Amino acid sequence: MVNDIGQLYTIEGVAAGILMIVTAYLVISSTTVITPQDVHIIDMQLEQLGNDALAIMDTPDSWMDKSMLQTQIESSDPNRGALFAQNFSQIINSTTSGEWDSMKFNATITHRDVNGDLRTVNFYGPEYLREKAMKVSRWVTIDGSSIPGMRNENQVVLFEVLIWRG
Amino acid sequence: MARLNDEGQWIVLMGFVISISIFILAIIVSQSALVGQTTSESVLEFSKNDIQDLRSEIMSLKERGLVNDTNLKDDIVSIALQKQNAVIVIENRTDSVSRTEFISIHFNNGITIYNETYEENY
Repeated sequence: MVNDIGQLYTIEGVAAGILMIVTAYLVISSTTVITPQDVHIIDMQLEQLGNDALAIMDTPDSWMDKSMLQTQIESSDPNRGALFAQNFSQIINSTTSGEWDSMKFNATITHRDVNGDLRTVNFYGPEYLREKAMKVSRWVTIDGSSIPGMRNENQVVLFEVLIWRG
Repeated sequence: MARLNDEGQWIVLMGFVISISIFILAIIVSQSALVGQTTSESVLEFSKNDIQDLRSEIMSLKERGLVNDTNLKDDIVSIALQKQNAVIVIENRTDSVSRTEFISIHFNNGITIYNETYEENY
């Protein structure tokens, strides 16, 4: 025989069920928004990290000295790109736990040539063909360079590094 | 309905209160995700690092006595125009009466405009 005593409990049960379903829907739909937000925050941190690393490398040890970055751009050593990569990688890939992070990067230099035209030359690493990378840049004053095509005099060049998580 | 059992009303009420508060919390959580996205987007869009870098470069040129070199200024202006989409004007002059050196930096990339006049007594 059907018992109709607990009607109020039945209504409460149905109402609570609907509320829980709506809540679950809201929570699930909000997590899909979190994904792009997460990506942006990582980009933001990557940009800051890269700029800080370039600032460290472009700061000379003492007054009127050349910075590490300036020395490496001016260097005639064919391994200057690898030398830069070693220093830059050490700054951006070291973590507090002592493990190495997996950041990859390439570097290019944009300068004005003898005719006043802009040229971009590769300094380190391959061309990057994927998405999701951050570009950081730094103005560097150099006294001339042996990189082909560059004016051999005082000049300001834009040093750009593209960083991505490998 | 022969006889409605009206005991346990508090349990019913608490059930509603708790489920409504979970509902409201879920709305707040979904809103905070949107806020985080717009915040990081606006941080990325604001060219703070470009401006800081430009300023530090011009100040270092000044310290080395190279800020009058039009060739170096042309380097910065033309490279910034192409690579950073930014119009940059760098002006410097000295006032011999008040013995002051002025350096003006103007930066405009269409979204962010930055103007500064640096003064230093010599």
